[in-house]
Amino acid sequence: MASLIGFYSLIFGLCLSFIIIFYSVRNFKDSMVFDNKIIFSTFLQFFFVIVSFLGLILSFVYSDFSNETVFNNSHTTKPLFYKISGTWGNHEGSLLLWLLVLTLFIFLFLIKSKDQSKKYRILTLLFQQVIIMGFFIFLIKTSNPFNYIFPIPKEGLGLNPILQDPALAIHPPILYLGYVGSSIIFSSTLAATSLNYISKEWAKHLKQWVLISWIFLTLGILLGSVWAYYELGWGGFWFWDPVENVSLMPWLALTTLLHCILVLEKRLTLTSWVVILSISTFTLSMCGTFLVRSGILNSIHTFANDPERGLFILIFLFCLIFLSLFIFFFFHKNNDKNVDSFFWLSKETSILVNNWFMMYFLSVVLIGTVYPIFLEVISSEKISVGPPFYNKLIIPFLIPFLLAMAIGPKLKWIKSDLQDKKYLILFFIISFLLSIFIIKILNINFLLNTILVTSAFYLFFITLRDFFTKKFKNLSQNISHFGFSLLILSILFNNIFSNEIITNLKVGETFQSEKFKINFENIEKRNDQNFLAIIGKLKIESLNGNIETLRPEIRIYNQPNITTSEADIKTNLLTDKFMTMNFIQNQDYFNIRYQVKPFMIWIWFSVLIISFGGLLSLLQKRYEN
Amino acid sequence: MRIKILPLFLVISFLFIFFIFFKGLQNSNIYSPDINNEKDIPFFETKILNTNDKVNSKEIFISDKFYLLNVWASWCIPCKDEHPYLMDLSVQNNIEIIGLNYKDNDKNAKNFLKNMDNPYKVIFLDKDGTIAIEWGAYGVPESFLIYNKRVIKKIIGPLNKNSYSEIINLIK
Amino acid sequence: MYGRKVKLRFFFVLLILITLILSVYLILKSLEENVVYFQSPTEIKILPEIEKKKIRVGGMVKNNSLSMGAKEIKFIITDFKNEINVIYSGLVPNLFTEGKGVVAEGYLKDKNFFLATKILAKHDENYMPPEVKAALEEK
Repeated sequence: MASLIGFYSLIFGLCLSFIIIFYSVRNFKDSMVFDNKIIFSTFLQFFFVIVSFLGLILSFVYSDFSNETVFNNSHTTKPLFYKISGTWGNHEGSLLLWLLVLTLFIFLFLIKSKDQSKKYRILTLLFQQVIIMGFFIFLIKTSNPFNYIFPIPKEGLGLNPILQDPALAIHPPILYLGYVGSSIIFSSTLAATSLNYISKEWAKHLKQWVLISWIFLTLGILLGSVWAYYELGWGGFWFWDPVENVSLMPWLALTTLLHCILVLEKRLTLTSWVVILSISTFTLSMCGTFLVRSGILNSIHTFANDPERGLFILIFLFCLIFLSLFIFFFFHKNNDKNVDSFFWLSKETSILVNNWFMMYFLSVVLIGTVYPIFLEVISSEKISVGPPFYNKLIIPFLIPFLLAMAIGPKLKWIKSDLQDKKYLILFFIISFLLSIFIIKILNINFLLNTILVTSAFYLFFITLRDFFTKKFKNLSQNISHFGFSLLILSILFNNIFSNEIITNLKVGETFQSEKFKINFENIEKRNDQNFLAIIGKLKIESLNGNIETLRPEIRIYNQPNITTSEADIKTNLLTDKFMTMNFIQNQDYFNIRYQVKPFMIWIWFSVLIISFGGLLSLLQKRYEN
Repeated sequence: MRIKILPLFLVISFLFIFFIFFKGLQNSNIYSPDINNEKDIPFFETKILNTNDKVNSKEIFISDKFYLLNVWASWCIPCKDEHPYLMDLSVQNNIEIIGLNYKDNDKNAKNFLKNMDNPYKVIFLDKDGTIAIEWGAYGVPESFLIYNKRVIKKIIGPLNKNSYSEIINLIK
Repeated sequence: MYGRKVKLRFFFVLLILITLILSVYLILKSLEENVVYFQSPTEIKILPEIEKKKIRVGGMVKNNSLSMGAKEIKFIITDFKNEINVIYSGLVPNLFTEGKGVVAEGYLKDKNFFLATKILAKHDENYMPPEVKAALEEK
C-alpha cells in the first residue's frame, strides 16, 4: 500500500514539473509580479516527493517484501534504525533522497529570494526543474524504488552489514545536502549569466547557498571518513579510493568558489571564475554520482550495478555540461570592471593564488581517479593509482599553500603592504624552531616533514594570535583557517607517530615486540539480533607497565551471510588505540592488528571547526540582514 | 579568434571524455556471471544435504544421461511454482535432477522437501553461493540442462510450460 | 613599443602557461611511477623478466592451499590455468577465504613466488574484482 502511494506520488511529482514549467514560462513573459501559483506548485512537488519518500521508509519499516527495493536491501531481523537507514543505503532509495533534497532546496530558494528580480528567480527555477525532471525520469525509468514483485517473498536479502553503522546511516543524507545544494548554485549561476544579472548583491545572495552546501559537504565527507575508520578496520581515515575522491573533488571546487564569491561580493571581479566554478562544482557532483553508481570505477566500495543506469546519468550529465557551456560562451560578458587594477600584493592576488593551488589539487585528484578508466578503454591495460601518487603530488604543494593561507588574510583589497612584518617573521622562526625540536626529539629526520610542520604551525600560530588581537571582523574565516591548520598538524603527527603491529595469534598466545606485549586471553561468543559476535579479549602491556584490555569483535551476520570486523578503539585526547581481529575459515590463528594512532580525535575535531567557521559566516550573514 | 577556438576545443574534449566514459561503461567492470552455454561444466566439491557426505561433482555427472542442475532454496518463493515441473521431469527415465541448495538452512530445506516431495536425486549444498557463481547463475531458481559434461541449455528463473516442453523435446 | 599593461598581461599568460605545462608534466611523470599494474598468474608466467615494481595479482584462492602461521599466511592464487604462491604477512580482509576471488598487491620474487604487502578487500560477497573476472573469462 505504502509502495503504491509512493509510486503515484512520484508520477504526480513529475507531472507537477510540467505544470511549474508552464506557469513559469507564462509568468516570465507576461506579468511583472511573481506568480504565487509557482511557489505553491513547487511546494506541492516537494510534498509529493516527501510522501513518496515516507512511503519507501514505511515499506522498509514494515518489511513489505512485495517491494523489490525492500526485498533486496532489508530483512525482518534487522534493527529498526537500520531498516530506516536502509531506505537510502541503496541505489533507488538514495536517488529518491537526491530528488527530495532537490525539490526541498528549490522551494527554499524561492522563499528566500523574494528580494531578487522576478526573471532571475523564474529562470533559476526553470534550470532547476530541468535537473529535477531528469532525476524524476531517471528514477521512474531505470531505478524505480517501488517495483512490485510477485509472488511476495517471505524474507528479504538483507542489508550489507558493513553499511549497518550509525555514521553511515546519516552520511548519505548529509553528503547529498552538500551535493544537491550545489545544484542550486548551478541553476542560479546559469540564470544570472543568461540575464547578465551578476552583481555584488547577487554574490551576497548566492554566498548563503555556497556556504550551506559547503558546510554539508564538509560534514558529509567527515562522516564518510569516520565510518571508514571505525567500520572498515584498516585503521585509516582516507585511502585515496576513487569513491572518496569523487566526494573530495566537488569540495575542492566549492571551497574555491567560496573564496571567489567573497571577492565578487566585495570587488566585482573574478566573475568568470565564479561562473566556471559554480558549473564545475555541480558537474563534479553529478560526475561523482555517475562514477559511483555506474560501477565504471574499480573501487573497494563498488557494489554490483546496472550499466543502463550509468548510461542515463552519463547522457544527462553531458547534456547539462553542454547546456552550461553554451550559456557561458554565448551570454557571459566579462564585466570585470576592476580587472588588472589590483596590485600584485593584495587580497585579490592571494585569493587567485589560492584558486590556482586548489585547481592544481583538483586536477591531481581528477586525473588520478579517471586515468585508469581512460587507460583501460584505450589500451585495455588494467591499473590502479595508489596513495603514493597523491601524496607525492599534493604534499609538497601544501607548504606554499599553507603559508599563503596564513599571510593572505592579512592583506588588504586592491593594494597592500605587509604590515607588522616583524611578527610575521617572528612567528615563522618560532614555528620553524618548534618543528625542528619536535622532529629531532623523536629522531625522525626528514626534511619535507620539517618544512610541512613548520608551515602548518605557522598558520596555526598566526590564526591563533588573531583570535586575541583582532576584533571580530573576520572571525569565521579565521576559525576555518585555524581548523585547517589543526587538521594538517593532526594528520601529520598522526602519520609520523603511528605505530602498528600485525600478527597472527592463537587463543592463549602472547606476542612480544619492542614496544608492547600482546596477550590473547580468550574469546567468547554472543548472539545478537541479527549477528553472532565472536569477541576476543586481548591484554596489551606497554613498556612502561600500562595495561590495557581491548575487545575487538568479529561479527557473522545471518542475512546476508557476511563476516565483518568491529574494531575496538580506546580513544583519549592524545591517542587512539585501535585493534581489529579477523579469522580465516578453518584456521586456528586469528589475524590481529594493533595500532597506536595519535591525535585521531583532533582530525575529526578540526574538520568540525572548519565547518563551524562556515556556519558562523552563514549566521553572521543572517544577522546583518 | 580566441573566443572561437576555446569553445570548440572544450566541446571536442568533452565529447572525447563522453566517448571514453561511454566505452568504459560497455566493457563495464560489473561482475555478472556468464551464460555458460555449451561450455564444459565447472566441477566442485561440496557436501550433500541429508547425509552431509563430502562429494565431488565429477562422481555425479558421469553417465551419458541428461542432467538438470536446479538451483533452489527453501526461502525462494518462485521455486514452489516450478516444483510440479521438476516432479514431472523426475519421473522421466533419461534425465536426472540434481539440486543445488543455494544459501539455505538445512532444516528449512528438508522441511521444504517434506512438504513438497523431493524431485532430486542428489542435493548439493551451496551455503555461501560460490558454486552458483561459478556456474554462472543469475539467481534462484535457475536450471542448467547438462549432457555429456556440457551445459546445453540454461533456464533463468522458474521453469514454466514452455521451458518444460523444450526440455522434454531436447531429451527425447 | 607595447604598453606596460600589455607587457604585464603577456608576462602573466606566459607564467600561467609555464606553470600549466610544468604541473601536467609533474602529474604525468608521477602517474607513470606510481601506477600499479594488474596481472594474472598466466600473465606472470609469460613475463620476459621480473621487474622490481609493485604489481597486483588477482585470481581465486586455491582450495586447500591456505595455511596460516604466526608470522605469515601462505596461499596459492590460481586463474585455473596457472598458479602462483603467495606469502603474506599483514591484515586480512573479512571476505578472504579459500575458493574466493582475491587481489594481492606486492612484489614478485620470481615467477612462482609473490611477496604480498596488501590484500584488498571487497564489500560485497558476490562481487568479484573486475581484473579477476576478466582473467577468469580469458580461460
